[in-house]
Amino acid sequence: MSDNNLSVVRKSILPRAGDSWASIAERELPKLKIEDAISSLQSWNLHVFMRAPAPEDSPRAGNPILPSDVIFIEPPLAAA
Amino acid sequence: MYDLIIRNGTVVDGSGLPGYQADVAITGNRIAKIGKIAETADREIDASGKVVSPGFIDPHTHFDAQLLWDGAAKPALSHGVTTIVPGNCSLSLAPLKADHRMRLVGMFNQIEEMPYKAFREGVVWDWETFSEYITRIRKGLAINVAPLVGHSVIRLWVMNDAATERTATDAEIAEMQDVLRECLDAGAAGLSTSYVDMDETLQPVPSRYADAREVDALAAVLSEYGRMLQIVPEFYDPDLTIARLDQLADLSIKYQIPTTFSPLFVNSDNVDAVDKVMKRVDEQFARGARVWPQVQTRPIDISFSFAVPSLLFIRFPNWYRVMRFGTPEQIKAHFADPENRKARAAEVADLKDLWPRLVLRQVKTEANQKYVGQTLAEIAKERGVTPVEAMIDLSVEEDLDAHFLAADMGHNNDDKVVSLLKHPRVHIGASDGGAHILSFSTYGDTGYLFGHFVRNLKTMRLEDAVKKVTSDTASIWGIPERGFLQPGYIADVAVFDPETVDRGVEKFVQDVPGDGSRYVRDSHGVDTVIVGGGIAWSVRDGYQDARGVVLPGARADAPELVAAE
Repeated sequence: MSDNNLSVVRKSILPRAGDSWASIAERELPKLKIEDAISSLQSWNLHVFMRAPAPEDSPRAGNPILPSDVIFIEPPLAAA
Repeated sequence: MYDLIIRNGTVVDGSGLPGYQADVAITGNRIAKIGKIAETADREIDASGKVVSPGFIDPHTHFDAQLLWDGAAKPALSHGVTTIVPGNCSLSLAPLKADHRMRLVGMFNQIEEMPYKAFREGVVWDWETFSEYITRIRKGLAINVAPLVGHSVIRLWVMNDAATERTATDAEIAEMQDVLRECLDAGAAGLSTSYVDMDETLQPVPSRYADAREVDALAAVLSEYGRMLQIVPEFYDPDLTIARLDQLADLSIKYQIPTTFSPLFVNSDNVDAVDKVMKRVDEQFARGARVWPQVQTRPIDISFSFAVPSLLFIRFPNWYRVMRFGTPEQIKAHFADPENRKARAAEVADLKDLWPRLVLRQVKTEANQKYVGQTLAEIAKERGVTPVEAMIDLSVEEDLDAHFLAADMGHNNDDKVVSLLKHPRVHIGASDGGAHILSFSTYGDTGYLFGHFVRNLKTMRLEDAVKKVTSDTASIWGIPERGFLQPGYIADVAVFDPETVDRGVEKFVQDVPGDGSRYVRDSHGVDTVIVGGGIAWSVRDGYQDARGVVLPGARADAPELVAAE
């Protein structure tokens, strides 16, 4: 089976270096207003958005996104 | 003349083919002959009415620490398990610099519930490199060990504190590749990584700070050796699991390596979610990838007392924080306070269907013995309180030594579970042997497989079940000369009674160094377990020969191990 024969699954990305909600929103959802795009991303990625905050003295403070996170860039697909 | 003969048993050889009557002769560490054997041996076992099969292989364990004080990984060996794979979920005990020991102990404590005191009193820290650790556990090894090396540990070795702060530089990634090569040369069976685990401060473990570039580079090294990549995906969400298995599939195809993700559970609230994941697994296998989901046989039972932070409370932050960071005195004082009692009861109120059916399984005072075996609903009714209040009150009265059982919390839809267990692209595993020792027993999953699904429900053939936990596992992991009963193969053998084989009742025992305790299950119906041709355990004589080895073993010319020998 080639890649083209894989069924459609929910679209996701892996973050690039230094990515934040804003940078992902700008890159992946350019047609939306930035505030709406960020809000959508957060609601589609509660596994990241709801994460306990990093300590204030951490380089991650304020940004919950980890380099290994899967970030969905669309809502859950309707059941087939 | 042979060293050992097993007579009159039904040989179920691991191939999935029908069992047959035959004797099995062993010379040294190998099977010499299967068939009618006229000669005699120094030791003979009468296996009349019993099954003689290859020893079982458990691909997902955390016996890393236990192997330092118990080379038999008790009681796994007595259940017929002859090979274990520790080092899963990004955590192994090597390579580990002295400065990082307590940090790793914290992770083991948080993730695997291994008590700090067990490390303090049960471990002499005399290794740093992977080969030194292998040399250390090899002494007195009664079970075979195919150890993974943990990604979090490699990251910590190379990046120190930065391992939990940022992505790695090119130079650091190159160094991690070198460290992984050293581990594989020394006998590591592959690499494990995790996308969900947290450390003792409830922050992500080091492997979660790795970007795709780093994981790709490490997979390239696995490719040089043809070894396994194991991951823990976000198993609670099918879309996330699918995204991870797509990642794995790409690596598997690019580098032609086997990969496995664990666990895959049947969610009680959404039993069809696994179908969605399995559809993707099938598609990726058809594409040429090897992405083996690991499915455990047993339902999810959680036992707990208030003395330790239970998984059951992890979704209730205030409750979990008290258990995680409080001393026993502080925990007791917290719950004895009427205001806190009220607040904590309110916090868990949305699980109103769960609390009444919890069972009190163990207390220490005479006064409360009458409640043992009763549900919290029954106890609450008698005391005139709510079930949660009854649980809190009993815990305070028992100095936190009241033990409760939340049975059948999930993965308990027998039809769905067995359809997975029988699936040709499912790998039976995910026992977590040696981990979560204060939440549930991780021993006896094979007994449950044979007792529940094969004998009681009759939803799986015995031969298929044996194949799943022997030759399939050996083939998936590339473990040579094991998994089949055939002349010339290594003699790892389980002899068990198919009419009685099962897991025993879960019990709380105190056998962990430092006066530590754990939940275990004894084996039922297993007669004899043979490792490397020696009787490692029998129901009659207990633990005996120690002929376990490390698999796949060090590269023949690995310099440090040659020196260690």
